[in-house]
Amino acid sequence: MMNKLLPKIDLNRCDRCGVCITACPENALLLTDHGPIINAPHLCTYCTTCEEVCPQKAIRTPLTVVWAPIN
Amino acid sequence: MIQLEDLNKIPILSSLEEKTKNAFAERTYRHKLHAGSTLLIEGDPADACYFIASGHFRVLHMNPEGRIQVLARLTPGSPINLISLLNQEKVNLGTVEALTTANVLVLSAYDFEFLLSHFLDFSKTLLFVFAERLKNMTQLAAELSLYTVKARLARFLMDLADTRQIFDNWTQDEIAAQIGTVRDVVGRLLREFENQGFIKRDRHQILLLDRKGLTEIANQIT
Repeated sequence: MMNKLLPKIDLNRCDRCGVCITACPENALLLTDHGPIINAPHLCTYCTTCEEVCPQKAIRTPLTVVWAPIN
Repeated sequence: MIQLEDLNKIPILSSLEEKTKNAFAERTYRHKLHAGSTLLIEGDPADACYFIASGHFRVLHMNPEGRIQVLARLTPGSPINLISLLNQEKVNLGTVEALTTANVLVLSAYDFEFLLSHFLDFSKTLLFVFAERLKNMTQLAAELSLYTVKARLARFLMDLADTRQIFDNWTQDEIAAQIGTVRDVVGRLLREFENQGFIKRDRHQILLLDRKGLTEIANQIT
């Protein structure tokens, strides 16, 4: 069972332009009649490209900032 | 009517005299907001102020091109829209959005004036709030005018990691609004920091690796 953090897509904001689909370097997204879905979550590397290219700001890839543990 | 116990949970109100609390409680009501909803729109008539009972908000200014600058993040206990009510133009000076589910106590402009003119402890409490807000705005102005975007991003990242803030999920868009730039620049600078070995991206985590290096960047002035 996959349990990793994935981009959050707000389908109410999405205008189904498809930019995220073509921009995703891993081909993890698929455009459906309702908007984009993460069709292949195992491929998603959380690179944040989909958020960066979305003109509607419908995709969120929240980040947490922490100090790296000291070895 | 608002209960006095509710007021005692709000630090700036808990120290008010009993009669002031009663007058305040008689004149306020509770309003619930969902995460992402807008409480105030910049430029609209200012007809009330608010005291945060629970939840978190951000105050922002948007320019005509849609670029956002976050002016403040407000936590429980903070008042909202006081300065707009005291300003002669009586318009909201910023847009205020709920970041989480939130509850506010609403005080109309008329009742705000009434409390200000009849309860000295209420007025004095708000003066302290103004002093704090003025200090924060001065710091923000200094940040924006004195430091490069790269320096502001480095300062912001270190501040987040050091203070372990409640809002620990930031999109690049939100980071950009906080430090006065645009999303593309944040993305480019994060890649630059990573290439230089100052940070490492690990899925949703930005790991800060080099405090000395980031501190040097953080002190770059314009």
